[in-house]
Amino acid sequence: MTSPVLEIQNVSRSFGPVQVLHNIDFALHAGQVHALIGENGAGKSTTMKILAGYLQPSAGQVLLDGMPVHFASSQVAEDAGVIMIHQEFNLAQQLSVAENIFLGREIKRGLLLDHTAMHDQSKALLERLNCPVDPRAKISEISVPNRQMVEIAKALGRKARVLIMDEPTAVLTSRETDILLEQIDRLREQGTAILYTSHKLDEIAHIADYVTVLRDGHQVFADIADGLSEDQMAETMVGRELSNLFPPLQTPQDETVLSVDNLSVDGWVENVSFTLKKGEVLGIAGLVGSGRTEMMEGVVGLRAATGRVAINNNPLKSNSVLAARQAGMVYLTEDRKEKGLLLQKNLRENLTLLALDKLSGVFINRLGEEQALDNAIAEFDIRAGDREMNAGNLSGGNQQKLLLAKTMLAEPDIVIIDEPTRGIDIGTKQQIYEFINQLAASGKSVIVISSEMSEVIGLSNRVIVMASGRVAGELTGKDINEGTIVRLAMGMTQNKATAA
Amino acid sequence: MKRREFLTTAAVAGAVGTVAKTASAQEVTHRIGVAIPSATHGFMGGLNFHAQDTINRVKETYPQLDFVLATAGDASKMVNDIEDMVATRDIDALVVLPFESEPLTSPVQAVAEQGIWVTVVDRGLSVPGIEDLYVAGDNPGFGRVAGEYFRENLTSGQKIVVLRGIPTTLDNERVDAFTAALDGSGVEILDMQHGNWNRDDAFNVMQDFLSKYSEIDAVWAADDDMAIGVMEAIAQAGRTEEMWIVGGAGMKEIIGRIRDGDPQLPVNVTYPPAQISSAIEMTALGLVSATPVSGRFIIGSQLVTPENAADFYFPDSPF
Amino acid sequence: MTDITTSAPQAQKRKLNFHLLGPLFALIALIILGACLNSNFLSYGNVTNVLARSAFIGIIAVGMTFVITSGGIDLSVGSMAAFIAGVMILSMNSLIPIMGVGVPVIIMGMLIAAISGFAAGWLNGFLIAKVRIEAFIVTLGTMGIYRSLVTWLADGGTLSLSFDLRGIYRPVYYDGIFGISWPIIVFAAVAIIGEITMRHTRFGRHCSAIGANQQVAVYSAIKVNRVRIATYALLGVLVGLATIMYVPRLGSASGSTGVLWELEAIAAVIIGGTALKGGTGRVWGTVIGVLILSLIDNILNLASIVSPYLNGTIQGVIVILAVVLQREKKTAD
Repeated sequence: MTSPVLEIQNVSRSFGPVQVLHNIDFALHAGQVHALIGENGAGKSTTMKILAGYLQPSAGQVLLDGMPVHFASSQVAEDAGVIMIHQEFNLAQQLSVAENIFLGREIKRGLLLDHTAMHDQSKALLERLNCPVDPRAKISEISVPNRQMVEIAKALGRKARVLIMDEPTAVLTSRETDILLEQIDRLREQGTAILYTSHKLDEIAHIADYVTVLRDGHQVFADIADGLSEDQMAETMVGRELSNLFPPLQTPQDETVLSVDNLSVDGWVENVSFTLKKGEVLGIAGLVGSGRTEMMEGVVGLRAATGRVAINNNPLKSNSVLAARQAGMVYLTEDRKEKGLLLQKNLRENLTLLALDKLSGVFINRLGEEQALDNAIAEFDIRAGDREMNAGNLSGGNQQKLLLAKTMLAEPDIVIIDEPTRGIDIGTKQQIYEFINQLAASGKSVIVISSEMSEVIGLSNRVIVMASGRVAGELTGKDINEGTIVRLAMGMTQNKATAA
Repeated sequence: MKRREFLTTAAVAGAVGTVAKTASAQEVTHRIGVAIPSATHGFMGGLNFHAQDTINRVKETYPQLDFVLATAGDASKMVNDIEDMVATRDIDALVVLPFESEPLTSPVQAVAEQGIWVTVVDRGLSVPGIEDLYVAGDNPGFGRVAGEYFRENLTSGQKIVVLRGIPTTLDNERVDAFTAALDGSGVEILDMQHGNWNRDDAFNVMQDFLSKYSEIDAVWAADDDMAIGVMEAIAQAGRTEEMWIVGGAGMKEIIGRIRDGDPQLPVNVTYPPAQISSAIEMTALGLVSATPVSGRFIIGSQLVTPENAADFYFPDSPF
Repeated sequence: MTDITTSAPQAQKRKLNFHLLGPLFALIALIILGACLNSNFLSYGNVTNVLARSAFIGIIAVGMTFVITSGGIDLSVGSMAAFIAGVMILSMNSLIPIMGVGVPVIIMGMLIAAISGFAAGWLNGFLIAKVRIEAFIVTLGTMGIYRSLVTWLADGGTLSLSFDLRGIYRPVYYDGIFGISWPIIVFAAVAIIGEITMRHTRFGRHCSAIGANQQVAVYSAIKVNRVRIATYALLGVLVGLATIMYVPRLGSASGSTGVLWELEAIAAVIIGGTALKGGTGRVWGTVIGVLILSLIDNILNLASIVSPYLNGTIQGVIVILAVVLQREKKTAD
């Protein structure tokens, strides 16, 4: 084995009195993919930030090429070829793709910027990633997965020796994930050392040469990936045996609670009709961009839509989120940071925002709010260091739980959840699956939109597959399987799909 | 008189247009451009009124004359107005009250160089000799007349406070002349603060003067808008008997009270907004007749007393 | 060492409060400075003067707090106050022949002021929320419109309330109960109601949610447009109320009435700890901000320690200091 490029030895880290990392010890080698896995809050982000110079260790040291180094800032680390790609992208929304890729190291010709050279080089970098984005497009105009690709192109452009990737596939579809994994393979062959984190254990099993598992700030496992099964990884992470990830399905009742007829959302969805039964979990599958989210936003009144939506046979006032909520239907956004939570507000204000009318007369019932927060923390197992902390400081999983708690405070009968477990560790995932199942059991109806095939398959009584803004097919029982869903999502007809 | 007409300026401009078409018949021979600051303050309101009034009057007397009136809210708008007048209205004479001296000097100079008659009102340009005619109020005189009244009517050791205007050369000239006139009289100036020729600011400043000084014999408010604020503050403190006030510029309400013998307002000092009338009239005269009207005309500041107040009272003026 | 766990959160709370209370410390420092410089500073007369003259900006600034908290801005309030004052004076004068000189005319005038304030504010809100024009542009436009309208109404001069009415209306500014004048009482009432509305009602919570992240507010079933328009309409009504207290003071309005009030109100809001980009609003902070601004003027008038030309410099320095004081230190670790 080659000598390590980047190494951390006995690294500990404390925030105030709280120690979040205990003696972490591992090495990254050129031409290897090193997976760092663990539940949310296990210390992965802190470890990565120490490696990339965003944080300093409280104890222990970082070694570059065998020599102790001190990365005083991420800039220093980047100059040494250690580049981290964040989950929240560091891209300037209003600048073009090429401008972002060359941000801070613009190519100049004399005093002026050499736009042609930057454009051509960006194009070459993006082509290496099989990413069809126009280098002249603005970041705000391109899709989230493509932004991920731009981030990676930006790192490649900086001649990264060590690439630290924080859940790069969290927002990618499976096809995009495949492209990314291929690219990582290529980078590995070119001799880049890669530190890779993901909650998707199948990816880890597929790509990793070496696996380090963190649990509560301790390194609980470190070994070569060969022969390590996904179950073993999951159990090491969680520290207990994981029984079946998905609870057994509930049986829906006959009563129809929601019916949608000929719903269209301009530019996204055309003439979609479906129904939802009491106690049913309806899965919505389809590629990113197939109109899943837009359809549901149309149903709950967040987007202008035509067509008829009825709850318990009562037509719903269109374009009114409030009317939908009052009729008992709520929508949980996939974008919890931008649309779900007020990141700089505390937990209490976030929790009660949707259902504030239930907690106030003329004045807001402050005691009631505190009580609701107590209940939410207990019921949803929200792990917050401090009740007064801001929602933005919670880990992703806890943010998702808070968002769930916020939604459930409105006491809905119909819950539409978009990407319920995006960027969430396996332990929390299981809790959320359990929770969705319990909702159905208690007679509520749930619609789950997800890009994770296993999730749709494991949770749903029935699945609607969307393709290009239309319903490509509806599946029940044994028909709900990966092959059928993929074929429908790719635009094959249902007959062919089920026949095949 | 019915005023508050919408689009006064536009109406005049429009009228000018139609007159110009029929001009050959009526033989409009000369056109005068008038550029003044817009009516954002009592004094300028009066000035606007007098400008409009004079234009109407002069046009009746001399049908062969035509006017273009433009009001500007800032110096650069005024420059644009003047350039437009020269370029598109083909004026023969320009009457201008410069918004500020510096920025208007070279544009007006350019106008003069084209052989257009230039009359400058109130505020001088930075370069002497550009204008054919200069008509202005007398700023040092304004301060001196007031100062002399204070000197004659107060004894040594009596105390006064002064409200100044917006910090400008004009304000400095007035205040310097005022203090010079008081020099050696033994009258003590307790304090001077800027009331910015604004009623509300003057009210606040006077309130603070009243808190600060237990004995004040007289107030030089230097402007009638400020005098109004000052009087309210004094009334609020219940000290109306203690001091008298001299304002300035001849606002009609104040002049009215002087005429009626208000002991709180014994006199006033003029700085008439009507100076624009003189400027327009003299310019018109210069164009239609052979009377020589060039040179400098300083309209002296006069002391308005209960005896002569009726001569300074213009009930139609908004000021 | 056993008490570490109990003392740590307390220390944190104290630190937090220090930043929150920054403007209050600045105010106290100013009061001490004023008292040292002039013995009349704390006299009953001076204190009531300062409080009463703060009332106009103060009442407006409370409304401005809601607008800024929900992520908006209103530059038109100064012009709006002048315009409302003009409309109020003209209509009261013209009502005299119909209603005679008496209290009913005054009450009509007050109603007209409140209604025109509401209408003017609502119009701003409507253009911003429904027609979707930037708040800065809308209110910059209406600022010019109201300013020129009042100049037009006054024909470039000054609109004065009929002398007979002034006698009846004057006590609204100059009198009061228990030695506290009406403007102070009204300002205090507006401030207290504003504080409660901001902290303890759905409207206040919705304002800060919209200011923090409009998307989240939309997804949380908040009627964003309605709340937004309401903040501007509320501000308009408060401008009307401020005008009701202002007109009896001098009995007149002109093109120079209320000049720069908008900037003073906005400055007071920001000094008080409300974020200019919205999301957090503190009505009590705004009140302190207003008092700081009036006190600076008052102290400079009372003390004559610096050239009056430098008044603006002193104000600027204190405003910036008050904001710096409340900035939370970035955690050094």
